[in-house]
Amino acid sequence: MQRLLDIITSDQADVRNLSLEAACRSLNADALLQQCQDLDAFRRRCDNLYERVRSLFFLYSIHRFHLPVHLTSAQRESGQIPFGGYEHMLNRRYQEAIDVFLAKQTASGPSVSLSSALGEAYHRLAFQTLADQVRRSVRTVRGNQWMFRTGHPEDVPVRIRPELLAISPETGCYPVLRERTAVRMDFSHSGWSDIFFLGMDYPEGARVINASIDLAVRGRHQAPEPPIDCSLRVIDEPVLRLVSIDLDARTEIHDVNEVFDFARDYLGLLKGAVIAAGLIPPGMEGCGAKISDVFSRMLGPGLGLEITSRVNDIPKGSRLAVSTNLLGSLISLCMRATRQVSSLTGQLEESDRRIVAARAILGEWLGGSGGGWQDSGGVWPGIKLISGSPAGADDPEYGISRGRLMPQHHVFSRSEVSDKTRQLLQDSLVLVHGGMAQNVGPILEMVTEKYLLRSEKEWAARQDAISILDQITQCLKTGDIPGVGRLTNRNFFEPLQAIIPWCSNAYTERLVEECRNAYGSKFHGFWMLGGMAGGGMGFIFDPSVKREAMDRLQPRMVEVKRSMESSVPFAMDPVVYDFAINDNGTFAELRHDAAMPQGYHSLLVPDWLRKGLQQLSPMTRRELERVGNACRDTGGDHLAARLIQRILPSTSKEAKQSARLDDLLRDNGFDPIAHEQLREDLKSGRLGLAQNRLPATATIEDVVEGDVIDARGRISQSAIEAGQRALARGEVAVVTLAAGVGSRWTQGAGVVKALNPFCRMKGEWRSFLDIHFAKSRAVGQKYGMPPQHVVTSGYLTDKPLRDAVQKMNQTELRVSKGATVGLRMVPTARDLQFAWEEVAQQVLDPQKEKVRTSLRAALMNWARTSGEASDYTDNLPLQCLHPVGHWYEIPNMIRNGTLLQMINERPQLKYLMLHNIDTLGASLDPGCLGLHIESGADLSFEVICRRLDDRGGGLARVDGRVRLVEGLAMPREEDEFQLTWYNTLTTWIDLDRLLAIFDLTRETLADSKAVDAAIRNLARRLPSYITLKDVKKRWGHGQEDVFPVSQFEKLWGDMTALNDVQCAFLGVPTMRGRQLKDPAQLDGWMRDGSAAYVESLCAWGPTE
Amino acid sequence: MKIRKAVITAAGDFHSRLPLQTLVDRNGEIRTALRLMLDEIVESGIEEVAIVVRPGQQEPYITAAGPHASRLVFFEQANPRGYGDAILRAADFVAGESFLHLVSDHLYLSRSDRPCARQLIEAATRYECAVSAIQPTRENEIVFFGTVGGSPMAQAEHVYEVSTVIEKPTPTVAEQKLIVAGQRAGYYLCMFGMHVLTPAVMSLLQQNLARLPEGTNLDLSSSLNQLAQTERYLALVIQGSRYNISYKYGLLLAQLAFSLSGVDRDLILTELVNLLATK
Repeated sequence: MQRLLDIITSDQADVRNLSLEAACRSLNADALLQQCQDLDAFRRRCDNLYERVRSLFFLYSIHRFHLPVHLTSAQRESGQIPFGGYEHMLNRRYQEAIDVFLAKQTASGPSVSLSSALGEAYHRLAFQTLADQVRRSVRTVRGNQWMFRTGHPEDVPVRIRPELLAISPETGCYPVLRERTAVRMDFSHSGWSDIFFLGMDYPEGARVINASIDLAVRGRHQAPEPPIDCSLRVIDEPVLRLVSIDLDARTEIHDVNEVFDFARDYLGLLKGAVIAAGLIPPGMEGCGAKISDVFSRMLGPGLGLEITSRVNDIPKGSRLAVSTNLLGSLISLCMRATRQVSSLTGQLEESDRRIVAARAILGEWLGGSGGGWQDSGGVWPGIKLISGSPAGADDPEYGISRGRLMPQHHVFSRSEVSDKTRQLLQDSLVLVHGGMAQNVGPILEMVTEKYLLRSEKEWAARQDAISILDQITQCLKTGDIPGVGRLTNRNFFEPLQAIIPWCSNAYTERLVEECRNAYGSKFHGFWMLGGMAGGGMGFIFDPSVKREAMDRLQPRMVEVKRSMESSVPFAMDPVVYDFAINDNGTFAELRHDAAMPQGYHSLLVPDWLRKGLQQLSPMTRRELERVGNACRDTGGDHLAARLIQRILPSTSKEAKQSARLDDLLRDNGFDPIAHEQLREDLKSGRLGLAQNRLPATATIEDVVEGDVIDARGRISQSAIEAGQRALARGEVAVVTLAAGVGSRWTQGAGVVKALNPFCRMKGEWRSFLDIHFAKSRAVGQKYGMPPQHVVTSGYLTDKPLRDAVQKMNQTELRVSKGATVGLRMVPTARDLQFAWEEVAQQVLDPQKEKVRTSLRAALMNWARTSGEASDYTDNLPLQCLHPVGHWYEIPNMIRNGTLLQMINERPQLKYLMLHNIDTLGASLDPGCLGLHIESGADLSFEVICRRLDDRGGGLARVDGRVRLVEGLAMPREEDEFQLTWYNTLTTWIDLDRLLAIFDLTRETLADSKAVDAAIRNLARRLPSYITLKDVKKRWGHGQEDVFPVSQFEKLWGDMTALNDVQCAFLGVPTMRGRQLKDPAQLDGWMRDGSAAYVESLCAWGPTE
Repeated sequence: MKIRKAVITAAGDFHSRLPLQTLVDRNGEIRTALRLMLDEIVESGIEEVAIVVRPGQQEPYITAAGPHASRLVFFEQANPRGYGDAILRAADFVAGESFLHLVSDHLYLSRSDRPCARQLIEAATRYECAVSAIQPTRENEIVFFGTVGGSPMAQAEHVYEVSTVIEKPTPTVAEQKLIVAGQRAGYYLCMFGMHVLTPAVMSLLQQNLARLPEGTNLDLSSSLNQLAQTERYLALVIQGSRYNISYKYGLLLAQLAFSLSGVDRDLILTELVNLLATK
């Protein structure tokens, strides 16, 4: 038996690189548990960071993927997860959580439930350990350390350069230091090897080639220029003035503590730069001093600093590391101004670039974000190879990790990559922003995990990606740009997708296919930029067709986007860039003509005018005069027009928007009277998050034997046959709930989750809806009778769903449109407080926690100033509406006639299987159906054994009655942890009995008055829950804000609480009931066999 | 190596009148700052002293030097081009010998029985090379001083082999280039304003002056940094303190330091307590 410990500690690369899967293949549950015990003991005593982290990942993987298979077959699936352990996890005390879970495992034996908790705790502890190490390394980089020791204004050791204090006689102002910086475009990152953890563990495999580039958005700008333009100057007021021209934000900071308040406004990145550059060193956080105290020493009494940033309209998600390079640019600017780097103007020296890059990493950590170590590449000039480097005896990482935090940069000389090659590259590559702006974070976590587990396929792919980088280098040296295209293309379609299939998407692949079809051999290949495709991307063409391809791609991308925008989360319209390689990197000049970045005056002048001339400092008055002169003399480069646009009001877009919202409300069954009642109840405190809960006196207990019908093992032949007969006779229909957009799936982007093509099955990208229909098709083929299949829609999803269903051209498929909507409201401060302070929630790492606290203070202020419980209308009209909960879906089918049509079409219809769009494994299983038929229940709910992330209620005995309880309704959070079964929402419905519950019959279905009354009567008996939803508000070029808004909902599971409804509960296998709610779950879903299970249920049609 | 000459630079805009300020010395006698400095170096074995002054400022210096006036030679720095240029003006005076160099705005107070200058001269004589006096200084003050990087010399207390000299570094630069083993975190070895310089330094200053672009000034630290690359160059942590009298309250602090270590200690302490009690 292979000791897993040996894989971790071996000196031999072939043993060390063995995959965990291979080593675990022959181990049974007991052997795995023994290995876990050894690994856990080892990681507790081990000093070496990476051995410790790797054992943690091994432990996670065994508990997440390997043990559950054995435990399920040994009928050791269900078990309880101690709430104390869960609480420890919320507070980031993972070590203590593991101890609690292991004690439970020793006392009660192993179970899948417990393993899910242990797996998660080990996983988080591993990432916490890695993040802590990066943080420590960032702090200990030489040149960064002093900033953590400086805690008082008197201690601040940096001084402004005298050149910046020399007032220009022409302008009467201090000179302006302007820094212009490129962004970076990576050719290959050798399988995301620029993740800090990888570089620090595997420096020899961590290599990236990237180029610094200037950009111009086609149709918006004249010619490529450095996209980042920052400035710094001394001002005659003792404040720190921060201005972000592109984000339309400015602030004047008077207190040191305010600099550390990152989420207060949109200037967090500028604040991070000020701190990381040592102007206000991180050690001063909380010192309570005034900015003027610091500046009087640094600049002189009565003086202040103004720092301005402008990003030249480059949209978010460009995959060109705009924010890291902006941070680098600002830091460089501040460090030049205070002599922390040697040159005031021009390029930086190599040692200075390195310290700027180290500070940029620090700045990202301070702001709670994180990039890769190649990201500050725009600070360097030209094309360069960036490589991890082993830690030497002088490095702070020595003895802790194999590699250093900071990589080495080798800038290719003209003799290595010729001018001709550089020109050819510019003549061949079409650089675009596809319009998507996704979060790469989950992908980077998956990469780290797979690297540390040395998963076989992924490890081979990593080696392949490393060899591709060598080949790209060779092609660059020989001038073979078509070769570069072929290699970046292979890199994307082979190793990168083998490591992380989710780095691609249907949209990108469609564009690539179109390019290939249109240009054949003149299209050399696709080029993924950064962490994933869909945003910034490249297409390499023969130079003879490049111009034409650019002209074609621009409108084509927009068309494809339009055709997919309801299913794929786009943040903006796609754009094509012109680009040029930047041979300066970051570059500064000292200007005595007081020229500020474009847009500065149109942003600041209205504020100055509002203040009044008397209130302005002498320099600001002089500047205002100059602006006036410029407008009068030359028109000021359209300055006058821009100023007028800002100063004078124009017809509000909001008025038009609100008219559309009113139409939408009217068309979608909004009930204004009920809405006003809801507002009253919210304001008075009769409704609210706290009021969702059952009374504290309610007894919540786990179910006992006999309460659940076990459908996980063998189901009786009679039941199966009963199910098969019903299927063959066409007595069963499927109801797929898809009225909501699935905001967690796309993080509030407002696209239809049901239509999101998220995974590849049988060679094609498939959406949730494709998969659900494919399962119905398989049942139809098997039993010779295609089941009717209804997908329920809401105001947001109806049209896209109808279009999708129409394209499928299947008579059995139909859409049932929702008939009710609500209007979102600004939350009450009381509810925000409850959600943030009284509900147990995940504590973040200290820096992110600070950012979150600051953000929450801002949101609380927003709620108070916007009016608590007032209508939320400050967004796109569709984002202001909300669905009112899945309880209404069946009533909607009754009300809108869908059910009647189905009965008319198939009078034999007797049963419905209702399921959530998330529940991919739900299928018309004859066994489950047979059990429902045999149970004689009105409704049979499917439940699964609870795992740690199955939060939000479960099956319980509430005061003796077996029912489903929503998480929102749990009187005490710990109650949920006593429950063995989790609600999948999949429900088998006896149609006639259901109608009887509504007090209806098949005959009265056509009577709309009777139907309305029946629905209203039943609705009244069900609770309404108040929830907070995060809604995105998009602005600018792909910028987003997220607001928590109040809405209400009624939930289907509460049908089990009605005394006159007879319910049964079927315990089904996890794969059948598992819900896919977050893209971060995809990798686990693929690896634990769930994806294969789902695919085995599907039959694909010829057109799909 | 015998050190018998000293060069004091006093030609800076701001510094020219500082040596003429008066203080009360450890023995309770009133002396000018220049006299205190000259007492120290003469006691350390210096025979001749060159003072580099601004044109026309010799007279007050002669008066201020008291009994040491006869040892003084003056050099005027007419078109000043920085600190390094000021030292170079005394090139003929040192005439190829190693010499002691001091800045005119510093006063020194030894903690041992040997004056600070003597400690330095003894080290230079022993190791036969250029030696700069240094003092561990906290990082928030290093922006005011030339700072050295290097390593402790084996078998020698308080002596360092210098590898780098940077003028007024920021802590960012210091952390990367000037960390010296054995120092407390955040402390660096900064110049004490007193050096024994070899003829090689004069040559380097000469070469650097010749290459200097128009309108820029010549500093000493760059030449000392070059020196460290070309010949043995040491730094000695002096058992004593320096007081820069050009700072705000610099003269007051220097006076307090002298008084508190001399015959009037009790008197001054009493006055200070009185002052505190009434304020």
